[in-house]
Amino acid sequence: MTARQVARPGVVTITLSGWSNLNEKQLLQKVLRDFEATHPHIKVKYDVIADEYMDVLKTRLIGETAADAFYLEAFAAPEIMLPGVLEPLNSYISEEFNLADFYPQFLQAFQREKIIYGLPKDYSTLALFYNKKAFQSVGLSQPPKTWEQLREYAKKLTIDRDRDGRVDRYGFALVPELARQVFLIKAFGGELIDSNGEAAFAAPESLKGLQLLVDLYRLDKSAAQPSDVGTSSASEMFGQEKVAMAIDGPWLIPYLKETFPQLEYATVEVPIINQKKGTMAYTVAYVMNQKSKFKAATWELISYLTGQEGMQGWTSQGSVFPTRKSVTDALQYERHPLYSPFIAGAEYSTIWQLNENLPIILNNFNNQFISAIIGKQSLADAMKKAQETANKEIALSK
Amino acid sequence: MFDRGLKNFSQPKDALSGYIFMAPTIIILGLFVLLPILISLFLAFYRIQILGDFNYRFIGFKNFIRLTNDERVWIAMRNTVEYVAIVVPTQTIIALGLALILNAKLKGKNWFKIIFFMPTVTSSAVLTLIFLWMYNSNGLINSILAFLGLPTYNWIGDPNVALKAITIMNIWSTAPLFMVIYLAALQDIPESLYEAAAIDGANWWDKLFYITLPSLKSVTFFVVVMGLVGTFQLFDQSYIFSRGTGGPNNSTLTVVLLIYQYAFKSLDLGYAAAIALILALSIAITTLIQRYFFSEKAN
Repeated sequence: MTARQVARPGVVTITLSGWSNLNEKQLLQKVLRDFEATHPHIKVKYDVIADEYMDVLKTRLIGETAADAFYLEAFAAPEIMLPGVLEPLNSYISEEFNLADFYPQFLQAFQREKIIYGLPKDYSTLALFYNKKAFQSVGLSQPPKTWEQLREYAKKLTIDRDRDGRVDRYGFALVPELARQVFLIKAFGGELIDSNGEAAFAAPESLKGLQLLVDLYRLDKSAAQPSDVGTSSASEMFGQEKVAMAIDGPWLIPYLKETFPQLEYATVEVPIINQKKGTMAYTVAYVMNQKSKFKAATWELISYLTGQEGMQGWTSQGSVFPTRKSVTDALQYERHPLYSPFIAGAEYSTIWQLNENLPIILNNFNNQFISAIIGKQSLADAMKKAQETANKEIALSK
Repeated sequence: MFDRGLKNFSQPKDALSGYIFMAPTIIILGLFVLLPILISLFLAFYRIQILGDFNYRFIGFKNFIRLTNDERVWIAMRNTVEYVAIVVPTQTIIALGLALILNAKLKGKNWFKIIFFMPTVTSSAVLTLIFLWMYNSNGLINSILAFLGLPTYNWIGDPNVALKAITIMNIWSTAPLFMVIYLAALQDIPESLYEAAAIDGANWWDKLFYITLPSLKSVTFFVVVMGLVGTFQLFDQSYIFSRGTGGPNNSTLTVVLLIYQYAFKSLDLGYAAAIALILALSIAITTLIQRYFFSEKAN
């Protein structure tokens, strides 16, 4: 009977929207409880958007029913970093908040012309996961360090145990999505877009990096797409041992722990391509709704969550990594055997972000890249077509 | 009887009470059907900035010009037409066949009715998820095909097959609805016609072609039109199948899915409204052509 809480005068309730899985939800709720304990004048309503996050969010922003603070992924940020949508945070940030503690590359993803629209709450990068038992079974003792080795190993690791013509385990998991492949485009000096913001990924340098994947799939037949083996993601492929190697994010670690606890695996940095290191990084920020009625309270929440204490609580389980140097040091992730390749990757990673034309470029790339992967047309033709169509659509949408 | 009804209505008092009775329907239809149609007509000629600082400006036919240059519109159109051209005739023939079987004096036909009708009452989202599972590369359908020594397919990942997978699923799930409509119509054909024909020496085929099918003509028109309208609006299945992308390689992109993408992903409402308008026109024209053919034969 006493548990029922009555709103006290002077207490404001603010809403926080995000996406989440069960694990993250429990963790965030714990951090939010800590926040409420130290900030008794604020109550936080945590609202989970289960699916199609950006569609739901945009619809709510238009209808002026969006939460006071919400998650924003870097790649979706250019679409909504518009006047009148997000509250600029510059005036709220104090000396004490220590903005310089953030890794600049993640901070930049949420800035436009020196206006800070969001503060990165965490990031993840890609690293190579490899199945130790599979490696042992074909006599490999070391993970690949270069892409040439990866290619050679992938061939060795592809096996058809019962010789029925259907491969039982492939060497490598191929995810034919732009979100995973931008670093390959850059590996030989290519760029996704040119200085005018138009698609430029069909240049010969860009093709060189992408060709590496096509070769694995078409020439060596040592890689599989998720749908080839009846799965929906690289994580599932790796967990079910349909592949021996996968380039995937840290979210795979808790998934394997829960669903495939028997699997023996390790992580290393993405193999070197063209004598250079490269990987992708994904970052998410907390942003403030410009239509929020409780901006001061919302800022208290955001500054707590992206401050040292809140960020340490949030990133303490390693499925995502802290964007503050001080928290990274405190958690000692660079010494953790599974996490260190991801932390190392942050330095040389390509952040998954573009401009407001990203949806068009993404869609055209993904469509045509698949057709090159399955051999309907050459990579050069496919990319040329994707680039032309994308640029035509960009011109038309202006 | 009809005359009397009309006369009564012509008296103002009765007409008023008639409208009052209809008011809930008129208001709801007006608010949620007519008004949106009118607004979308208006939107199609504007460029609207809806997120952040709201503004809009008249751009004449620009949205329609853009549409003719947009490759994805044509791909979506082609996919949709291909889908309609396969689904509508197939589901109509299957519905008729099933209805004829059920109309024969079968043992336990009520059970068959229930079983056949099951897919139609199941939610299409749930059906699609179940089918996604069965279409899985290592799923039920490929296992059966492999067991029978037939080639297997990557139903979900192969652009050449993905739309066909949705087509098969939809025929299976919508044919029973039309079967029920056919069945009702079949039971309306007087038995005496068949008896008279039997006396004249007609066999089963003669009865089918000279009595059953001609009697079902108006129902067939209804079934085909409803089928067309439904299939032109294919959305949920391809949305779930491709997670909203219309992939692989635009192969499951339908016109309504494209409208959704432009309206809610790109927030380009004016352009989405323009495509919706073209879709509405295509459905209207196809229906008119149908009507022309069906009435032509009637004369």
